[in-house]
Amino acid sequence: MILVCGGLADGVTELVCARLADSGYPYRLLDLAHYPAGYRVVWHWTDAGPAGVIAGSDWTLDLDAITGVYARFLGPEGRLPPEGDPEVTAALQFESDAGLMALLEDLRCPVVNRIGGGMSNNSKPYQALLLNRAGLNVPATLVTSDPAAARAFQGEHGEVIYKSLSGTRSIVRRLGPDQLTRLAFLRHGPAQFQAFVPGRNVRVHTVGDRVFATCIETEAVDYRYAHLDGLDVAMKPATLPAAVEAACLRAARDLDLLFAGIDLKETPDGDYFCFEVNPCPGFIYYERQTRQPISAALADLLNTRRPPAGLRSAVP
Amino acid sequence: MHLLLGHSWDSCCAGVLARLESRGLPARIVPAPLTPPARLVWRLDAAGLASRLDWDDQEVELAGVLVRGTGWLDPAGWDPADHTYMQAEMLAATLAWLTALPCPIVNRPSAALWYRGRASLMTWRTLLRRHGLPVPEQLVTNDPAEARAFGDRLAALGIAGAVYTPLTGEAGYLVATDADWQGLAALQARAPVCLGEPHGAPRPACIIGGQIVWDCDAPPDARALEPRLSRLAADAGLDFLEVAVAPLRRGLAVVRVDSMPMLEHFAPPAQNRILDHLTALLAPAAAPHAALEAVP
Repeated sequence: MILVCGGLADGVTELVCARLADSGYPYRLLDLAHYPAGYRVVWHWTDAGPAGVIAGSDWTLDLDAITGVYARFLGPEGRLPPEGDPEVTAALQFESDAGLMALLEDLRCPVVNRIGGGMSNNSKPYQALLLNRAGLNVPATLVTSDPAAARAFQGEHGEVIYKSLSGTRSIVRRLGPDQLTRLAFLRHGPAQFQAFVPGRNVRVHTVGDRVFATCIETEAVDYRYAHLDGLDVAMKPATLPAAVEAACLRAARDLDLLFAGIDLKETPDGDYFCFEVNPCPGFIYYERQTRQPISAALADLLNTRRPPAGLRSAVP
Repeated sequence: MHLLLGHSWDSCCAGVLARLESRGLPARIVPAPLTPPARLVWRLDAAGLASRLDWDDQEVELAGVLVRGTGWLDPAGWDPADHTYMQAEMLAATLAWLTALPCPIVNRPSAALWYRGRASLMTWRTLLRRHGLPVPEQLVTNDPAEARAFGDRLAALGIAGAVYTPLTGEAGYLVATDADWQGLAALQARAPVCLGEPHGAPRPACIIGGQIVWDCDAPPDARALEPRLSRLAADAGLDFLEVAVAPLRRGLAVVRVDSMPMLEHFAPPAQNRILDHLTALLAPAAAPHAALEAVP
């Protein structure tokens, strides 16, 4: 039995549930919009690991019967409106999530994804170091609080983009004349700059040992926000060179991610550069555009009970 | 220079600073190394990684870093939303900068360690189990009857009550009376609670590099755990780790693991040994010697 932890109002979780149903794989949904309300949990840890149950209104799932877990935690906007003191509610929600995360860390079946694996996404330059070690090229990157260094970097590379350092979602923008006049603000704290890499975007989803590459054609600097600039986006399945595909799988394994969304760019010379790895990819956008069977592969993975070889287990 | 990333009120920072200075080694305690007027240039490209940090327009040449904090951006003068964003940015930059420094770093952070802070015992269970280290039974439940049954089972074994420990906090609360159990049940209506077996007096130990320092003379059964404790620290990638073992009904078990050891958990002789070993890790050329025992 597969356990899905997420909110049905979230399109990605909804798609995962639909695909599991289509595939004939039984699953139970722990609806995080409501959890823990409406559920009964009894998790007992001994030297042998966790044992116990999760029960919904009309079902009981033994932890030993779980073959795989798909988890997509929700922010406050995905939860039911708080009752009573919002601060107390938030603290109790945090405590509830912490218990669930601890359980997921300690289950032996495949978990997509364990919390520890996603932490690198909170620091893009840190993640870039790990990606580089995994054998993926990363664009020339500068993190600086020195305006002169930023200007010199632009002088060296010509076109330069800037984006957030942390996991805070930001729109990738070109460093233009307007931004250059504001470089003095860097003295308040560092920002991240990267050499602009020309070419086409390629989004790679690794699902266990399987790889799905999607090329994205657009004129936008950040294709996720192309519509804001009135630009079109077209997607189609792509095939990666074997070495790049192997490096993507290695990166996902190094980051302890059973399922990852990897952002690449293929230059006109055929080189590939990696920008970042998303530990909780919203793959629905790519699957709908290309009909690549990403969710079906994910469903198969969750039904296997055994994680692919080489993945590390939880390290705090 | 040695950077002690933390606060002067942290006895670990203060003790290491005193030892380094007594050896004539320059060192500074800095709570947030990248905040203005610091100037960071961190660059990764085809030529590799290069980073430079200037304080007061002088390049900081680091010989070692003791990480006792993650850096906190003073919110004064910031709009709250901007401060939250800039704090996240500063944390991200500091992690990347620290990770790539070529000097000794204790503890060299991983993203998991950096962002999860002081993880609860529950979070360490997988690693503890992997190394054969005994841990207490724990129960997470939102069912009051299950919680009470856990307490009753302990009571039948002669143990009065169970300990409620929030997974997001550090304190533990003994649940023993009917009023306690009723209060716990009220809490369970809103969130699952974590219960454990009460244990005897904890005996802390610190793993520093390859050394283990106990708070006082450890009994043989505690000493027998040393190889496994060393492997735990190595597997977690930590040079500096505190654990506490305590007696339970089935024997000794690990009841606390902390990647941010607290000197206050140890008596002065053990504190001195910890600080000596820590200083030796940060400044490898100079081994600890007896004269340093007198340094606070």
